[in-house]
Amino acid sequence: MSMHSLYLLVPLAPLAGSLLAGLFGRQLGRAGSHTVTILGVALSFLASLVIARDVFAGHLFNGPVYTWLSVEDITMSVGFLIDPLTVTMMLVVTFVSLMVHIYTIGYMEEDPGYQRFFSYISLFTFSMLMLVMANNFLQLFFGWEAVGLVSYLLIGFWYTRPTAIYANLKAFLVNRVGDLGFLLGIGLILAHFGSLDYATVFERAPLVAHDTIELVSGSPVSLMTVVCILLFIGAMGKSAQMPLHVWLPDSMEGPTPISALIHAATMVTAGIFMVSRMSPLFELSETARSVVLVIGASTALFMAFLGIIQNDIKRVVAYSTLSQLGYMTVALGASAYPVAIFHLGTHAFFKALLFLGAGSVIHAMHHEQDMRNMGGLRKYMPITYVTALIGSLALSGIPPFAGFFSKDAIIEAVQASSLPGAGYATFAVMAGVFVTAFYSFRMLFMTFHGKPRMDEHTREHLHESPWVITLPLILLAIPSVVAGYMAIDPMVMGNYFGNAITVLPGNGGLHVLREEWHGVGAFMAHGVTALPFWLAIAGIACAAAFYLKWTGVPDIFMARLRGLYTLLDNKYYFDRFNEIVFAGGAREVGTGLWRVGDMRLIDGVMVNGSANLVGRLSARLRRVQTGYIYHYAFIMIFGVFILMSLWFVKA
Amino acid sequence: MIDFPILIFSAFALVLLAAGVGVITARNPVHAALFLVLAFFTGSGLWLMLEAEFLAIALVLVYVGAVMVLFLFVVMMLNIDLDRLREGFWKHLPLGAGVALLMVAEMLLVVTSKQFSTLGSSLPPSPGNISNTRELGLVLYTDYVYPFELAAVILLVAIVAAIALTLRRRKDSKHLDPAWQVRVRASDRIRIVSMRSEKDQ
Amino acid sequence: MTFATPNLVPVYPEIFLLVALSAILIADLFVSETHRFLTYAYTQLALVGTAGFLVLGATGVPLTTFGGMFVDDPMARTLKLVAVLAVALMLAYSRSYNQQRGLFRGEFHVLILFALLGIMVMVSANHFLVLYLGLELLSLSMCALIALQRDSAQSTEAAMKYFVLAALASGLLLYGLSMLYGATGSLQMALVSNSILSGSADPAILVFGLVFVVAGLAFKLGVVPFHMWVPDVYEGAPTAVTLFVSTAPKIAAFAFFMRLLVGALGSLVSDWQSMLVIVSVLSMLVGNVTAIAQTNIKRMLAYSTISHMGFLLLGILSGSLGGYAAAMFYVVAYVLMSLGAFGVILLLGREGFEADQLDDFKGLNKRNPWVAFMMLLIMISMAGVPVSVGFFAKLSVLSAVLDAGMTWLVVVAVLMSLIGAFYYLRVIKLMYMDEPEDTTPIVAEADHRILIGLNALAILVLGILPQPLIDLCLASITQSMRG
Repeated sequence: MSMHSLYLLVPLAPLAGSLLAGLFGRQLGRAGSHTVTILGVALSFLASLVIARDVFAGHLFNGPVYTWLSVEDITMSVGFLIDPLTVTMMLVVTFVSLMVHIYTIGYMEEDPGYQRFFSYISLFTFSMLMLVMANNFLQLFFGWEAVGLVSYLLIGFWYTRPTAIYANLKAFLVNRVGDLGFLLGIGLILAHFGSLDYATVFERAPLVAHDTIELVSGSPVSLMTVVCILLFIGAMGKSAQMPLHVWLPDSMEGPTPISALIHAATMVTAGIFMVSRMSPLFELSETARSVVLVIGASTALFMAFLGIIQNDIKRVVAYSTLSQLGYMTVALGASAYPVAIFHLGTHAFFKALLFLGAGSVIHAMHHEQDMRNMGGLRKYMPITYVTALIGSLALSGIPPFAGFFSKDAIIEAVQASSLPGAGYATFAVMAGVFVTAFYSFRMLFMTFHGKPRMDEHTREHLHESPWVITLPLILLAIPSVVAGYMAIDPMVMGNYFGNAITVLPGNGGLHVLREEWHGVGAFMAHGVTALPFWLAIAGIACAAAFYLKWTGVPDIFMARLRGLYTLLDNKYYFDRFNEIVFAGGAREVGTGLWRVGDMRLIDGVMVNGSANLVGRLSARLRRVQTGYIYHYAFIMIFGVFILMSLWFVKA
Repeated sequence: MIDFPILIFSAFALVLLAAGVGVITARNPVHAALFLVLAFFTGSGLWLMLEAEFLAIALVLVYVGAVMVLFLFVVMMLNIDLDRLREGFWKHLPLGAGVALLMVAEMLLVVTSKQFSTLGSSLPPSPGNISNTRELGLVLYTDYVYPFELAAVILLVAIVAAIALTLRRRKDSKHLDPAWQVRVRASDRIRIVSMRSEKDQ
Repeated sequence: MTFATPNLVPVYPEIFLLVALSAILIADLFVSETHRFLTYAYTQLALVGTAGFLVLGATGVPLTTFGGMFVDDPMARTLKLVAVLAVALMLAYSRSYNQQRGLFRGEFHVLILFALLGIMVMVSANHFLVLYLGLELLSLSMCALIALQRDSAQSTEAAMKYFVLAALASGLLLYGLSMLYGATGSLQMALVSNSILSGSADPAILVFGLVFVVAGLAFKLGVVPFHMWVPDVYEGAPTAVTLFVSTAPKIAAFAFFMRLLVGALGSLVSDWQSMLVIVSVLSMLVGNVTAIAQTNIKRMLAYSTISHMGFLLLGILSGSLGGYAAAMFYVVAYVLMSLGAFGVILLLGREGFEADQLDDFKGLNKRNPWVAFMMLLIMISMAGVPVSVGFFAKLSVLSAVLDAGMTWLVVVAVLMSLIGAFYYLRVIKLMYMDEPEDTTPIVAEADHRILIGLNALAILVLGILPQPLIDLCLASITQSMRG
């Protein structure tokens, strides 16, 4: 089989699985459906492995597979760009997806929508692969929208729950804001580069690096800055950066495998991947990178705080995901793209592990998600406990677990950065380490240690999950331990990515990082003596103190710091802000971007019947349709009058 | 001294305008229809002045002679309550009149512009002994055969539409089919049944 | 005087259609009520024959006949063919609907063919008079069709409204055309165009006439503020007629714009461009926003049509050949989508029940997954989601506008289509996420089911492989408009 057809096989195998399970699910039955989809994804994973070996042997590929259409001089085609960056993403996506597929067999066994679910997650895998393998912006956008659509379908999978419907509308609408930015960015690229092909655009980028455009006439701004910020707005939507993060916590209404696959490991990293892919563009705009840095750092720290006060086990993991995405974004801002991808990879493993571990607990607890009703589960679920412990250690950044390497590399890269806002970012990621360690161990202790707090009935039925659930946990735990140790040398320090990622000399921390590199051992030794490690240890110690030893302390804190707690409990009032500002229709506040957020108001009308701007306008316009013919005729005459006046005004 | 044709034109035009206003303000629908007839007459007078004799005659014959008579019949038969139609007239008048005035103002600006007024003066003088009707007849079936045929098709549609919308068999119709009546047999009318005789009480 | 018989070859399709429909009109008299299917079959045969003449007679170069009143060019051929196809599909979709409601009559079929003839005349018109006659032929037939269900007060009211407003619009149009005639001294498009180019016509009168012409055209297309008839007619007319009203006449309206504004008044582009911008923005705004508040799906689609026509105008107002081709692509795509959407509504209806409420679509996936999936494809295409023909239609008009340098207009249009996506997605949500309220099994004729499937798949396939259609539109426009 030629490599060319192997490239095609990678996305098409999951698509075939999805179509079979989706259209003929009833005929195939449950076992048939999960067999075909797992087979498809497994095939895709194996093909990715073969391609990876080929790529590291030096065989890159960039070319069209089939031409979609060409209008005048613009060609739109489906094409693949196979390089180390793509292959890394392909491996992560197919591997995590395969694990989630297997896990789903156990998790969803009692669900009536079993076949539909498998069809969706395979469809998602296909879309995600199209996204990462794209060699042009159009295909990227297609994948981008498609993963969004599947995510939307999956968040609302249990559509009988009103909260799920609300959450999926929210996700959809917030993502529209991001997509609008992304689309405008692509439009600008098309207008100024005359092409949608990556290679062509990147080639021409240095030529237009100093071009300016006038958004408001009279004040020129750098073209590259505008393009990059618009693209980053797209990334903010998908990768849930502040202030477009509001949808991700609510997306936990979806089934847990989805939270692991889409909202932790793959889709939310699409933004990170996209920015890395666009590194030749971002390298040309310091302003844009500075924006990226600051937004990432804010997300990393502030979302971590929210993780502390959550009691829903999935929400803790969700906020931790937000915070970790913030870390990746910080790395992007510091021009350390390989580090961001590295963290993306390690995070995908340990976060999927934590999600699936949480899912295993939820499954055992009969869909109870409140940690206050858990405790002492260590005895009943030893495998889940051990894997969750590994995940937490990795998340906290304790050597030699995977998270340590990637997080430390990020911190060092930021420290070396000289962009405006780098000082703030350094502080944020440092403080974030402590908070991360604290909330992840708080979760671990509340769930698995201490006295059991669940009711009798649930306790009697507690048992370790079946092998289809524990097997993925174990398989994910292995890379969560070793991936960092094994990958940091080639991936970050070596020339792993080749030409896939561009870092201009003099831009940021990666070069410093590489200069100071003296091997894995030295890195670890250095890490153990450095501040972040001790911050993490302190976080774990605090968690142990508050939740194992002096369990009354948190309540005292809560009572003393009521104001702070309320602020956190309301998630910094982002949701309230959106509701009040947009629902009130305060035009002065809404910028053009935010006004798209008005879209969410429409769902307010439809779902809640509450009055709002578009809804009222709609109702009013509807009332114009009176049914009286003379009104209609009058409006027509009035139209003629307007057209004629227009001409007079012009003349 | 005013030019005689201009005097005639002004007279016709004034009457035409007055008749137009009469059509929409008359309380009695029959009066409104008669005002319309008057408007057509004066309109055809204006056409005569432009030496468009055929059109003038056609207007009188077709509109006044046929269409309006039919219209009057319908109006008289239906007894339309005009007052109901005029409901809200005063309520809507200010807005309607405002827009109308603005429209008129704008149109006046165009019509009185310099270029517009020069248009009429450049009309070529018409040759003397030419028959309007003959010329129309010559081109109607030759150069203009395509639009003529299309007009015929439109009339056909009108016929089909009128029949489709009005003709229908009433369910309670007492209509009898003579063919069936002729073909009737005794057995259709009388059924002979044999009954057991009953004893007298 | 001498008179040469005009070349009739380019007019064969129209002549055939007229002869065939006259024959059907007569033949229908002799067809008994139980064999009414024959009339339907004859009608379809007449359409096939017309299509045959259209395809076989295509020359690829613009030809005129009847002293330049009739023009036959690739654009006309393509548009006529699409119109014939749309009518054929429309008749197939509405067959059982009509049978159940006493509309399966000879008059229905004949009037539809008359309307089609009107469309074809308009598409090929090269003379103001012919254009107007074609328009009246279409309007009159449409009016009769809307009122055909005599017992329904709603239908009668809708027909009445359409009739009166169409008369008003015709008046405006004629007034405008007479101004143009006064300024240029000709009714022939080419001569009018030459006269304007030579500078002998007075610009003030031209633009004054143009205002009224645009108003008349806008009414035909049903764009704001000349759109008021659209929702009432869509809702009031029998669904079969609504299907017709929403498809083929839009093709005629597009041709109407092309012939009049581009063909005859092309050099006034800067004047009509700004008028169309207003009309188009208003249509996208009013159409999309009002559609959200609708509970009746026919009304919702009416507002959706208004917004689609706003998009269509974007292509025309960009004033370039690429823009015209994009608008042509848009109208073809729109016709396909509209056919499908109303086809599904017709399919769901049954005796004594119209599936015209949004709630009737609740849980459709549970009742009939195949039909729900078809509707899903149609809705995502209408919303302009990628990999559907609707996406390319929007993309191509927007890129034409971008080329014309009106970036703000593109931003407005994208925002409006985002608002629009909401109500299309609501239909999908109703179909897939709600429980059905009505569990009557869905029965439909085999031909109806198959054709709906083909229709929806065409939307998908043209979304994946739009190139042939794009090329066809571009070729039609370039060959026709440079002739």
